[in-house]
Amino acid sequence: MNLKKEIKLHTIISSLLISFMIVTLLGILLNFNHSSSSLGMELLAINETQTQSANAVTSVVTYFRGLDTLGEVTILFLSVFGISYAIGDAKSKLNIFKDENQLLQIGVKILFPIIILFGIYIVLNGHLSPGGGFQGGVIIASAFLLKFLAYGENIKINHKIISLLESFSAAGFILTGVLGVLVMDRFFGNFLPLGKMGDFFSAGIIPLIYIFVGLKVASEITALAEYFIKVKDV
Amino acid sequence: MFDIFNETSFLHTIITIGSFIIFGIAIVGVLTRKNLFKIFLSLSIAEASLFLYFIGNHFEVSKIAPIANIAGDNITTFSSSMADPVPQAMILTTIVIAIAILALGLTFVTSYYKLTNNIDIDKMDELKEVKS
Repeated sequence: MNLKKEIKLHTIISSLLISFMIVTLLGILLNFNHSSSSLGMELLAINETQTQSANAVTSVVTYFRGLDTLGEVTILFLSVFGISYAIGDAKSKLNIFKDENQLLQIGVKILFPIIILFGIYIVLNGHLSPGGGFQGGVIIASAFLLKFLAYGENIKINHKIISLLESFSAAGFILTGVLGVLVMDRFFGNFLPLGKMGDFFSAGIIPLIYIFVGLKVASEITALAEYFIKVKDV
Repeated sequence: MFDIFNETSFLHTIITIGSFIIFGIAIVGVLTRKNLFKIFLSLSIAEASLFLYFIGNHFEVSKIAPIANIAGDNITTFSSSMADPVPQAMILTTIVIAIAILALGLTFVTSYYKLTNNIDIDKMDELKEVKS
């Protein structure tokens, strides 16, 4: 009886504490006002003269915060590396989707090139319209995921090509930054002609960086999907 | 009647309370579920609530997307009537990192299951000290 009362007291105290914390946190969050003159407004003001990119989000991601994107891509690479180390070789594993669906197989035959083409379009137009390297890369990887689902064991991905693409895009990304140091004044400096805003060949190094990011994300997410689909031991 | 839904401060309040509720759901899920997969699912729900809060609190009524339109009918140029591009770029970064970390965590869960045939966190006692 005594023990039961003690437990009840603990419950009451902890629930009171939790509700106090919720009220305090909500009060802090609801009283938060961000000022209208922010960093983003200044970046918008200099975007037209500095990058000539029609999409301001793209120029922030790849140009003003290019080093940040390099770190992000590195984290993605480290994650895929850890996954490949933890799961092991995907060649000796079985696909967990065994049933071969005729409808899906014929649908993939029609859809696969269209999805790849759409992903490439999204990557190449990252500086003109919504989209970019990350989004287009994930779209390209989704086409390969569809193939894994449809064909089961019969689809084989060449791992040499994937790792080659991955290393080539990472090296190209870093080389672009180093060329910025050598030719211009800083890491990820713009050493290409800016062009006219709205043209396909414009915005300097931004499309180049996004092509490298798109290649890297596409190959890494494809490898990720294969590792997660082939988890069954032989 | 629906004019209040077009006020920025009201929408900020709604977004704050909503993302706080989603975060609470995620915390309850992390603390009460026993299955490791459900714990990681709750963590990704918590991430989603953070994305919602961050993007929603920088949303302002009557501001357009920060993309200049040169050709076509409705021409827009870079000005202060555009939304802030920095939070969107930051959340783009965060989403990729969240995917990477979620995938790594799920890999560890599958490896742990292969080693021990167990994903219940109450039965994890491999590192427990053996009493002599």
